[in-house]
Amino acid sequence: MTRPVRLTGVAGAPGIAIGPVWRFDASNAVPQADASRQVPGQRPADAIEAAAAETARQLDALAGRLRDLGREEESAIFEAQSMMALDPGLVEEAIGRAGESGDPVDAVQAATAAAAELLAALDDETLAARAADVRDVGARICRVLRGEDLALPAVPSIAVCDDLPPSVTAEIPPGFLLGIALSGGSRTAHAVILARSLGIPAIVGIDGLIAAVDRRSGPSTSPVTIAMDGERGEVVVDPGSRVTMEYRGREADLTARRATAAGLRDRPAATADGERIHLVANIGTPDDAQRALAAGAEGVGLFRTEFLFMSRQTPPTETEQVDAYRRVLEAFGPERPVVIRLADIGGDKAIPYLRLAPEQNPFLGVRAIRLAYADSDLLLTQLRAIWRAGAAARVVPHVMAPMVATVADVELLVSLRDRARDTLVSKGLPVAERMVTGIMVEVPSAAFLAPELARRVDFFSIGTNDLTQYVLAADRGNAALAGLQDALHPAVLRAIAGIVAGADSAGIPVAVCGELAGDPAGALVLTGLGVDELSADAGSLDGVRAALARVTRAQLDALARAALDAFDAETVREMAAALLAPAR
Amino acid sequence: MRAEEVEVRNPSGIHARPAALFVKTAARFVSTISLENVTKGKAPANAKSIMAVMGSGAARGHIVRLTADGPDEDQAITVLHDLITGGLGETLEG
Repeated sequence: MTRPVRLTGVAGAPGIAIGPVWRFDASNAVPQADASRQVPGQRPADAIEAAAAETARQLDALAGRLRDLGREEESAIFEAQSMMALDPGLVEEAIGRAGESGDPVDAVQAATAAAAELLAALDDETLAARAADVRDVGARICRVLRGEDLALPAVPSIAVCDDLPPSVTAEIPPGFLLGIALSGGSRTAHAVILARSLGIPAIVGIDGLIAAVDRRSGPSTSPVTIAMDGERGEVVVDPGSRVTMEYRGREADLTARRATAAGLRDRPAATADGERIHLVANIGTPDDAQRALAAGAEGVGLFRTEFLFMSRQTPPTETEQVDAYRRVLEAFGPERPVVIRLADIGGDKAIPYLRLAPEQNPFLGVRAIRLAYADSDLLLTQLRAIWRAGAAARVVPHVMAPMVATVADVELLVSLRDRARDTLVSKGLPVAERMVTGIMVEVPSAAFLAPELARRVDFFSIGTNDLTQYVLAADRGNAALAGLQDALHPAVLRAIAGIVAGADSAGIPVAVCGELAGDPAGALVLTGLGVDELSADAGSLDGVRAALARVTRAQLDALARAALDAFDAETVREMAAALLAPAR
Repeated sequence: MRAEEVEVRNPSGIHARPAALFVKTAARFVSTISLENVTKGKAPANAKSIMAVMGSGAARGHIVRLTADGPDEDQAITVLHDLITGGLGETLEG
């Protein structure tokens, strides 16, 4: 009997799973039992046509299966892919490249890669994303040409791999995927989003996972079993009966918590003694709006707009932006305010049309509002689009600027906001009646200047991720500094207390839109410190709402006082956890 | 030969799903059919090829020119024109 090995990664999707490992890697193809499709001496043109037709047939079958399961959206993707496989231009291009004696696999790869590049180069994000679909089709045709099939799990399993592409996850029959454990990937990986929608756990960035699993598997041994807790980001290889019991207990606990939390969704978030806390969602694209509404979000505290500016060759037009903002404003309506964050872009992101100079230290460089001192066109266009979207949706839009560090930054923001409005009015275009204007407080200087800044804006929103990195001078991406990246560090909490005091002196509300707001322990400490609004990923709202409902204002005040006097984040976390621990 | 210009009105333009519907519909006709993104000044694309149609990058608000040449050209133009003005299977806003 081998000893259990505990590994940790980044929590992606909550849930508990225990089951055999299904190892996937990019070359995870096995020769087909029936490889008769490969005819020796077949002309490349005939081989390509036959393989394309077979690929289209497989994709149609897949689309049909998904449609029968009510997964219409995914089904439509495979239907479009099936048409790509049979596309006359694409097939001709591949046949042309293969000639009389070329390798059909090379030809198909080259033809689909070229077609994908054409799509990727279009300045349209939706279409550019289809480039991946075309490459996927190419890979499928090549598999058919080589006479290979994907090796899919034969029993319900936990997928263990570096990353799991969408076409593979879709091939796995429903119920056969118990969880996803990735050594690579990020919290925003496609596989994680899929796991959330399927309600199965996902963990990303698990160091040592693949080595630990592969060390224990051999051709003659039965598959390795692993247990995973998607909420804690923990994986146990070879759990044995004791750990299995522990995980079954956590599963029962999670099921009970989920049922309680879901029952609170249609009620506004409040403490046990009835004090209301505004609980809103962070969203990254207009498509996230429905998920946020379904999770009971009372609005949007952070609508990131970077998606409009990334992966393209030219800046988004004003009209394109109006459409995107309007969709979200309309989805939430006048009762649920939406805070649109002005583009947070700078030297760490490749944005070809901005021609930004490379910087030694982009997080301390010319980014976000700082870009507008040299060239304000980008920001003015975005502000005009928001004025127009507000008018079209008949709501008062809220905006906030990231990376504000000085009073001058706020004055620039306000003047650009008014200039954008004046331009539209002079053209006779309809604009929103006003624009509620706030700033992100994430730079230490803004925390020190909170009283002065508060008098010039309508609200503050604290970005705890960046505030933590700047206050503790610890790079968010540097794994060696993990101990200095917890936003519950008392130094960060003291900065937050100062920001709240500054806001109170001017009578403006304070929101928090960083990860800390979505962490139940963090939500309690923040509410104790006097924060009025918590904004988190839709998937975190249930947990925060349930945590708030279990504590009183007096308990939160005491927690905040104790937290400010602590010396490290672990102590604060333990104090908050003690409040949440079930009474025994 | 018949040609007609029409404005793309559905929110996401002629990308994957709407493009699939458009190409499937175009493939029902024997006429040679092309779609040209006038707004972007692109060359005419084979309306029966999903790659070519997506490659025309037709987004909401763009004007596209439909051209059909063959025995059923009138019917092809009418049907495809209505398909685009009807939103290509997507709900139209506003």
